[in-house]
Formats: sequence, structure tokens, C-alpha cells
Amino acid sequence: MQRWSLQFLLRPLLARLSWLVPRSGAQRAAFGAGFNDLLPALPGIFAWGLVTGVAMVKSGLTLPQAFGMTFMVFAGSAQLSSLPLIAAGTPLWLIFVAALIINLRFVIYSAALRASFRGLSTGRKIFLGYCIGDIGFVKFMQRLNRDPHFPEQQWVYLGSASANWLAWQIGSCLGIAGAAFIPTHWGLELAGTLALLAVLIPLCLDHKPALIGACVAGAVAVLAHALPLRLGLLLGVMFGIAAALIAEKVLPVEQKAGRKAEQKHE
Amino acid sequence: MSEVEVWLALVLLTLATVITRSTLLVLGERVKLPLLAERALRYAPACALAAIVAPELFVAGQQVQLDWHNARLMAAIAATVCFIVTRSLLTTIVLGMAVFTALRLWFV
Repeated sequence: MQRWSLQFLLRPLLARLSWLVPRSGAQRAAFGAGFNDLLPALPGIFAWGLVTGVAMVKSGLTLPQAFGMTFMVFAGSAQLSSLPLIAAGTPLWLIFVAALIINLRFVIYSAALRASFRGLSTGRKIFLGYCIGDIGFVKFMQRLNRDPHFPEQQWVYLGSASANWLAWQIGSCLGIAGAAFIPTHWGLELAGTLALLAVLIPLCLDHKPALIGACVAGAVAVLAHALPLRLGLLLGVMFGIAAALIAEKVLPVEQKAGRKAEQKHE
Repeated sequence: MSEVEVWLALVLLTLATVITRSTLLVLGERVKLPLLAERALRYAPACALAAIVAPELFVAGQQVQLDWHNARLMAAIAATVCFIVTRSLLTTIVLGMAVFTALRLWFV
């Protein structure tokens, strides 16, 4: 009786989710190829999830909040960045604005993915957008550069997004569960800050204006750290972007060198 | 921050994820970003990360602290060098935490 009612409830739900599962052989092959694209990066994604999981609990989130954060927000740098803001009692609007700014790179990613997802339903586009990750995006763009019209693009994308999601969530959940066994005075939340540094450094190394912008942003944020509401953060970002745009104008040769380096990476 | 406020923050953070990742996909190719906006967008993430990370490292107990008593800063310097050399996230975090722990236990 109970099993029957459970099936009755589950069947329409599964039917609604069936579009997540590749059907034809070509779709399955594309999904597998996308999944394999991400295999070399999985240990790194796992470690980054682990650190985020530990940092969430160590910065004071309860277990339900930490699990809620990883399964809802699903954005490593935004999560790690918002933890000190939440711990300091920063106003909600400023936490929201800071997360939007940290996530701005995804606006650029999604702009580049528009042609690949042309003609899909709005719901599906929202779902595919929610899955965008840094490494998966880079791998997908490498495929697009080799052949702009390669077949079954959304299944390749979903394959790499699944690998990314699994490695991230497994790492994150283990981190949340394991955090209880780690004493707070070990200062493990610093690992989250170090992980953010590892995201920041590649952005700066290839591109001088970005390096200058980041230095100015950091310096302004440190000097203005005593301002209320963590406004030093916003001031830092504004001065940093302005400095980077000016540097781009003043250093035309450097900028070309930076562009060349970027093209090589792609 | 109260329990309810933290959950509100989590909902807002989820919104921030969806808005930045899905809006352009849904609006499609009709929307063109202005050139200045596109250039500013490229620098925003690096600036935001720096503005969040720097106070965590340089400010200790409400004061800017630049000497080796600031274990977090020393760990970050070691981690930066390590990441530039090895490009490995895992090695970087392990080394940075080792430096931090050593300074915390023996010096600070």
C-alpha cells in the first residue's frame, strides 16, 4: 500500500526530470565525453569543496545551514567570500551585492554560451545556467574553438556539469561532516581564504591591469576596514575597477601582451 | 545574525547565483552588453576577491599588522609563492596551513 503511493508520487516527478538523462546513443556518448573532460580537474574540485565545507561550519553556520548553503548556493568563491560577512553581521543587502560582484564572471561565461543553448525552453536554460562552473566552462570553450558546431552540445555540457557537481558536493558534504572533529583554534577557516587566493592569482598573473586593479582594491579595502557595514569592500571594488581600466589605457603594450596570453590559454 | 537572517542570506546568495548565471541565457542573443560594461566586468571578480581577501590577511584585531607576528599574512605569502610555483590548489592549502600552524604554535 505504502509502496504503491510512493510510486504514485514519484512517477510524475521522475517523468519531469527525465530530460536530465541522455536518451540516444549519441547523447550518452556526448554526456560521457563531457564527463571525461573534467576528470583531471576532479581532485582539485573535491579539495576546494572540502575546504568550503569545513569553512562554512567553522565560521559559525549550523549543520542544516551549511548543507543548505552548499546545495542551494552552489558557488564556491561567493560562499567563501560571504562567510566572513555573515559572521561579522554585515547587512543582507551588502552580502547580496558582494555575491553579485564576485559572480560577475558568470555573466561573461553565460554570454559566451548563449549560441549553444539557442532554442531551449526557459526552464532548461535557467537550469543549465545554474550549472556553470569555471573549469567546465573553459573545457567547453576549448571544444567550441575546435569546432563551433560540434553535435549534442548541451549533453557534453551536462556531462561535465555533472562531474563538477558530484566532486564538489561530495567534497563539501565530507567537509561539513568532518568539521565537527576539528578544533576551532586550529584556524582552518584560513584554508578558505587561501583557496580564494588561488582563484585570484591566475586572474592577475596573465593580465597586468587586473593585477593593478586587485592591488588597489585590496589596499583600499584594508585602509577602509574600519568603515561601518563593511563598506570598505564596495569602495575597494570601485577603486580597483577604475584603476584597472586606467591601467588598460596607460599600458597599451602590456594589454596586447595580456590578450595574446589569453588567446594562448583558450 | 539570527537564524532567520542567515537563511535569508542563503536565499539571497542563491538568487545571486541564478541571476548572474542564467539571465543572459534566458534573454538570449538579442541583448548586447555595452563595451565599457564588458571591460569593467572582466576586472570585477579579481577586484572583489582582493577586497575580501586582503582585510582577512592584513587586519588582525582591528589593526593593520604587517610583521611576522601576523601568522595569517605569513601563511598567505608562503601559499602565494607555492601556488605560483606548483599551480596546485591542494599543495598550496596544505603548505599555507602548515606555516600558519607552525607560527601559531611556536611564535605567536
